[in-house]
Amino acid sequence: MAVEYQPKIVGFLCNWCSYAGADLAGTSRICYPPNIRIIRVPCSGRVDPLLVVKSFQQGADGVLIAGCHPGDCHYSEGNYYARRRLALLHTFLEYIGIEKERFQIQWVSASEGKRWAHVVSSFTEGLARLGPRETTLHKETV
Amino acid sequence: MDFSEEIRSKAKELLESGTVDCIIGYERATDGVVARPLFVYQPSNVDRLIFDQTCAHNLTKYLLNRKDKATAIVVKPCDSRAINLLINESQIQRDKVSIIGVVCPGIVKAGLDNTSGELQDACLTCQQHTPVLYDFLVGEPASEPDVPDAYPDVSGMEDKSAGERRAFWEEQFSRCIRCYACRQVCPGCYCLECFVERLDPMWVGIRIAPGENEVWNTIRAFHLAGRCIDCNECERVCPVNIPLSLLNRKLGKEVEELFNFQAGIDAETPMPFSTFDKEEKLGISE
Amino acid sequence: MSEFISKQDLLTWLGQLMGERNLVAPTRVDDLLLFRKVDRVEDIVFDFDNTTMSPKEWFYPSSETLFYVEQKDGQTELIPAAIEKETAIFGIRPCDAQGMAMNDYPFLEEPADALYMQHRDKTALIGLACITACPECFCTSMGCGPHDPANVDILLTEVTDGYIAQVLTDKGKTLLPDNLLTTADVSSPPAPVLSEVPSDGIAEKMRQAFDEPFWDRLADRCIHCNICSYVCPTCYCFDVRDYTDKERIERVRSWESCQSPGFTRLAGGHDPRSTKGSRLRQRFSHKLLYFPRQFGALGCIGCGRCVRACPVNIDIREIIKDVQQLGVKSEA
Repeated sequence: MAVEYQPKIVGFLCNWCSYAGADLAGTSRICYPPNIRIIRVPCSGRVDPLLVVKSFQQGADGVLIAGCHPGDCHYSEGNYYARRRLALLHTFLEYIGIEKERFQIQWVSASEGKRWAHVVSSFTEGLARLGPRETTLHKETV
Repeated sequence: MDFSEEIRSKAKELLESGTVDCIIGYERATDGVVARPLFVYQPSNVDRLIFDQTCAHNLTKYLLNRKDKATAIVVKPCDSRAINLLINESQIQRDKVSIIGVVCPGIVKAGLDNTSGELQDACLTCQQHTPVLYDFLVGEPASEPDVPDAYPDVSGMEDKSAGERRAFWEEQFSRCIRCYACRQVCPGCYCLECFVERLDPMWVGIRIAPGENEVWNTIRAFHLAGRCIDCNECERVCPVNIPLSLLNRKLGKEVEELFNFQAGIDAETPMPFSTFDKEEKLGISE
Repeated sequence: MSEFISKQDLLTWLGQLMGERNLVAPTRVDDLLLFRKVDRVEDIVFDFDNTTMSPKEWFYPSSETLFYVEQKDGQTELIPAAIEKETAIFGIRPCDAQGMAMNDYPFLEEPADALYMQHRDKTALIGLACITACPECFCTSMGCGPHDPANVDILLTEVTDGYIAQVLTDKGKTLLPDNLLTTADVSSPPAPVLSEVPSDGIAEKMRQAFDEPFWDRLADRCIHCNICSYVCPTCYCFDVRDYTDKERIERVRSWESCQSPGFTRLAGGHDPRSTKGSRLRQRFSHKLLYFPRQFGALGCIGCGRCVRACPVNIDIREIIKDVQQLGVKSEA
């Protein structure tokens, strides 16, 4: 029996809004695909593009970054920096051959449990349609 | 173009008056054709200095080895942008540097002599033939040519399909030998501990392999986003001819379009990634 | 009279070799010339000066796994890496073959490096004598020569319509079938004349020059990248790291260079070669003083790659000339 392709997604969620929102989805028993592996960060502004590129190099098929809505950052400004940095990263990833559908940035607040589930579901479905990331770059040499 | 005489007389003046301890300029290399950096400490040595269209190197990185010493430096317009960057980022003090700026018509292709007239690709889209800052100017400023498309190389890459781009970069990154010449020559790369040297956590590690090479080259380019002054040294020194400028200039083009910013034009404008605009919309999650 | 192989027969033979083993030959990669494994005879470049990277990467790869440690059913198993397939390197120049002979000193001295030894044992060298020389070549001053048959299994010298073939070792004899060779009345073309570099007595001069400010002045322009060490056929410093992933540990050895800042930084923070001049002096001292003192031969084989590749024209030929002159006339 063929195993259906399951995309591997790495999620960077800010502690104060998005992670809490994901928790709310969980406590509200809202189902969403389990493909996402969540990494909690203090703020979306902490997400270094290095973390994203490294996730792809290690075999992730998609990377999702979620933070507080602009204006609502727990640290006041972190997500403003993130917005600039990650907007540029999105274009850059596409330029080096990582399709833009594989990288998403979403603002998800602590009260948006349902929205979180929707974000993850549609991201996962899109990646499943896209297929695994075809690259020779994370094969061992030597 | 040959400004060797003017450079020599200015260098002699600065050393003899004690204004500086050292001039960083250029001399002829051992093949008799290309140029190489030269550090002159004695007025009697100034006759080794040259300046012509073979002087490709960006010498500003050397200023970071002489932070507390009065130094004069010969700069082309692209190099002068690096000085603005370093002042803006508090890496050098303006009053310690005597800048001998040169009006530059372009540098010839690698290996060619001064008379060849064949400019290197990077110089063909140059829009700044007069240095942006200097204490002494060599050469006559002329009006800037109209360059309708400043990024044809980047647009060419953007026009390729995703699959073509992926294949292209996979091939390029598998050639990288991680010599770090690109980093060492770059005036914007001055971290005391580079992310690639960090071994705990080991972001990249020591393995020389295509996947790791991809992380190295793309993140180095990203660390220069909004900071790269487009001198093209990284690409020029790469021993395996990886077109690194295609990475840096893509980011430069995007930063210019998104934030109306070009690195190194002055030393005061806040850098785009150390500031923000609350109201801006950048196409994320709207 | 010499043993001769026609160009056509050479191509046939190389095609045969490709079937039985890895055939590594100079090939175009974009606008570079590199030694790569080839699958088609058409990809081999015959008319060239020398490659950008030396063939040392086929004996001592830029990254190599030394062993794996795996856990299966509660048992921990150490699996050393092993070189399985035979390789033949076609088109290696006499200087680079000399370079491999130099690498044998540190790598094969007891206890021998297991992986290097396997690479060496399983690799045959089909040398190509130099008809022309690069402007930067100076092998004749460093104990070698453009037609030097030492250190290869077979040496081919290009003549009209084919090559003079010297089969020098038993390995070479097994590799090249007799039926492809004929006897012909051809003689070798004269070897190209290279510029002289005054290498006589350089080791002693280097020892005397140890404390000279010459090194700091030279290092002013050095950017301390790794290019010279990585293109060099005889540089062999490396670092070793363990990579862990899902119940498997992999120990990897990768190239390093003594030129990098921090190469000699020790636990506790002390760095005996913290200055640019001391690092630069180390590289040339190793090639021209320590290696000859330890092993009896110069560490530099005069291929000129570092001269071509150095972004700031640190030129070992100029350094040898300058060091010979230090103390002879007083510096300005």
